[in-house]
Amino acid sequence: MPEMAIQTQKLTRKFGNLTAVDGVDLQVAAGQFFGFLGPNGAGKSTTIKILTGLLAPTSGSMQLLAVDFASKPVEVKRQIGVVPEGMGLFERLTGSEYLKFVGRMYGLDRATTQRRSEELLDFMQLADRPKTLIADYSHGMQKKLALAAAVIHGPRILFLDEPFEGVDALAAGALKALLARMTERGTTIFLTSHVLEIVERLCSHVAIIHKGRLVAQGSLEELRAGISGEAGSKTTLEQIFLSILGQDGTERPQLEELSWLM
Amino acid sequence: MADVTRSVGIFEQIRLVAGLRWRILRNGLRKKNNRLDLIGLIFVGVFSGILVTGLSFAFYAGAYAFLSQGRLEWMALLFWGIFLFWQIFPVFVAGFGANFDFRTLLRFPLSLRAFYIIGLAYGFADFSALASVCWLLSMTAGATVAKPGVLPAMLLIVAVFMVLNVTLERLIGSWLERLLARRRTRELFLGLFVLSMISLNFLSPLMQRYGASARPAFQRLLPYLAWFPPSLAGGALAAITRLRPAEFLLSSAVLLIYLFFFSALLWRRFSAQYRGEELSETAAPARAAVRSIPATDDGPDRLSLLSPPVAAIVRKEFRYLTRNGFAYLSLLMPPLLILIFSMNFSGRHPTVGGKGVSAEMFFPGMMAYLILILMAPAYNSFAYEGRGIQTYFTAPLRFRDVFLGKNLMLVSVLAVEITLSLAMLAWRVGLPSAHMLVATCAAIIFTIVGQLTIANWSSITFPRKMEFGQMRGQRQSGMAALVAFGSQILMGGISAVILFTGNWTGNLWLPAEAFIFLAAAAVGGYFASLDALATLAEKKKEVLIEALCR
Repeated sequence: MPEMAIQTQKLTRKFGNLTAVDGVDLQVAAGQFFGFLGPNGAGKSTTIKILTGLLAPTSGSMQLLAVDFASKPVEVKRQIGVVPEGMGLFERLTGSEYLKFVGRMYGLDRATTQRRSEELLDFMQLADRPKTLIADYSHGMQKKLALAAAVIHGPRILFLDEPFEGVDALAAGALKALLARMTERGTTIFLTSHVLEIVERLCSHVAIIHKGRLVAQGSLEELRAGISGEAGSKTTLEQIFLSILGQDGTERPQLEELSWLM
Repeated sequence: MADVTRSVGIFEQIRLVAGLRWRILRNGLRKKNNRLDLIGLIFVGVFSGILVTGLSFAFYAGAYAFLSQGRLEWMALLFWGIFLFWQIFPVFVAGFGANFDFRTLLRFPLSLRAFYIIGLAYGFADFSALASVCWLLSMTAGATVAKPGVLPAMLLIVAVFMVLNVTLERLIGSWLERLLARRRTRELFLGLFVLSMISLNFLSPLMQRYGASARPAFQRLLPYLAWFPPSLAGGALAAITRLRPAEFLLSSAVLLIYLFFFSALLWRRFSAQYRGEELSETAAPARAAVRSIPATDDGPDRLSLLSPPVAAIVRKEFRYLTRNGFAYLSLLMPPLLILIFSMNFSGRHPTVGGKGVSAEMFFPGMMAYLILILMAPAYNSFAYEGRGIQTYFTAPLRFRDVFLGKNLMLVSVLAVEITLSLAMLAWRVGLPSAHMLVATCAAIIFTIVGQLTIANWSSITFPRKMEFGQMRGQRQSGMAALVAFGSQILMGGISAVILFTGNWTGNLWLPAEAFIFLAAAAVGGYFASLDALATLAEKKKEVLIEALCR
């Protein structure tokens, strides 16, 4: 049985009467590039917040790298990197200052932090603005910096909430190559994205959440097989996604109602 | 194929925009906090209404008195009052944050002419414009009652004066908008504003010292004011009352020239906006060429005695302090305030009646006042973290380290401020006796450390996000302000009672001994509270993140 990077049991989060995450059982093996999908408001961000310690679950439990999060949160956090929703940057620091700050927060020594900061800034093409405050960065630059900060300590699990949103094609290509290299070396990547093509290209395994409940989980091949009945068919992730979510027939808007537009 | 619709008239567009603004206000009030804002808004509205109505009576009476008593030159004074209020009030309001950006309307099919007229109509919806229009109408009524024959001329002058004012106000507003579009200039503007407000405290001592000698120079400037719009409006009215049509025509013509000149400039500005002037301060995409940044050697770690996370937070807090113009400026305030107060109430160069208070009272009093000011931000210490607050919860650290780093920075700043203030006090007032000095210094430690524990609790329980370089909408959490007020009263009260026990008991060193004991207890209590507060922070993290990541 493969080593598990992320395991949850009946993970539930309620906000008043609303159940945002409803009894989710996730299984992510170490080294997987894992895509976490769902329509708007399905519970993706809530789940990722719970998994990264930004939100406490109402009930259920979770283990990251076989360590129980609730009992040893600091030990778990040392092993993970996060690009949270909104990126979580301190906007009054420069990119270099922020990376050094994060490096030291994760316990890296000064020399290592300095060296890694420079390398990451170079890689992310942010090195030519050493004195620019993060507040003055473009959205794409902030995204790249947030990713740099998430990997500076060499995490074993990387959580990415919409990592390619607002990033130009050139940088996105470099980031994808970096993430692919990280998974080759054993890092587990847990990614949410609305761009299904990206998930299909990068991820080996996918889970789909809908109205707080996990409705599908497995490798892409397993999901294709589940939909079309034959493994290795040409079914795209978008078709799988729509097929799973559109089962009750209420999700798709009726184009006939907009006849005046056509 | 898109439907071809009839073009919408300007008045219909103005009505639609007014409806939009109303809906934005109404929908904003659905939130609980905004309902409290509504109560505040009603309170401010009633207060403003009383102010405007009261001044309307004053303008009515002024115009009536000046015209009926033949003191026609004084009419210009009324126009000057309105002119200055109309132009200056919106400048201060605009500096504190973004207004409703009516340029977003450019996405709709508007002609430049319609855009210009809607822009002007917007100008009439400001508080300063509404109040000024009320006052001008009151003046018209007062003048008409005094001399019914001036009504047509008065209506003409007031109409031109209104359009001129709204045009100039929109012109200044659009220039200011362009200037304040950049974060740095916005912060600089706020800094200058705060500095100028503080500087007003020097006005009284300066007037007392130099007022008489400055009067002749001011009087020499008066004739030049006659060529400004308010004097021209007053002059035109005076001329028509004295039946001097040539003078009236000249003043009115110059007033119209001003109006055309400002209108031309405003048309130019609005044309630039209409063409899609880009005011965004967002950085351009990064250059593709990768350039290594030079390796920098930070040298030995000056904060090596601290754990890495605490040292990192202290460094970050220091950088935030140096990049927050408002906070940076507040560091200048303590010595400046001592200078102001010593000029007014005490010191070797007192200006108020030549009487001062003794250093024995002045020293602890000023220190209490400074702590009151400098400790206030500690009660909402995460205000400027924004989305960065998430880092504290995703990083592998105990939250007590966050409190330690933040408090250490604050205490360092306070130590520097108090030392500077002490130096200023020694120069201006002189130092108090040894027992009072020791007692006050121990009291400072007691009140600061004692408050830190409460302030840390307040910061995680009642967080409120604040933005750099903005004042509009930058209110502290009401509960945090209440907690700060309560604890400051408590600490101040305890300290005052203890200080006076020295006099009551005749043992002058008793307060010093008592404060040293209390300071030690406060320090012990502070460290004992950190773990409990860290646990509370973990429980409150959702509230904290939600409040600061908005």
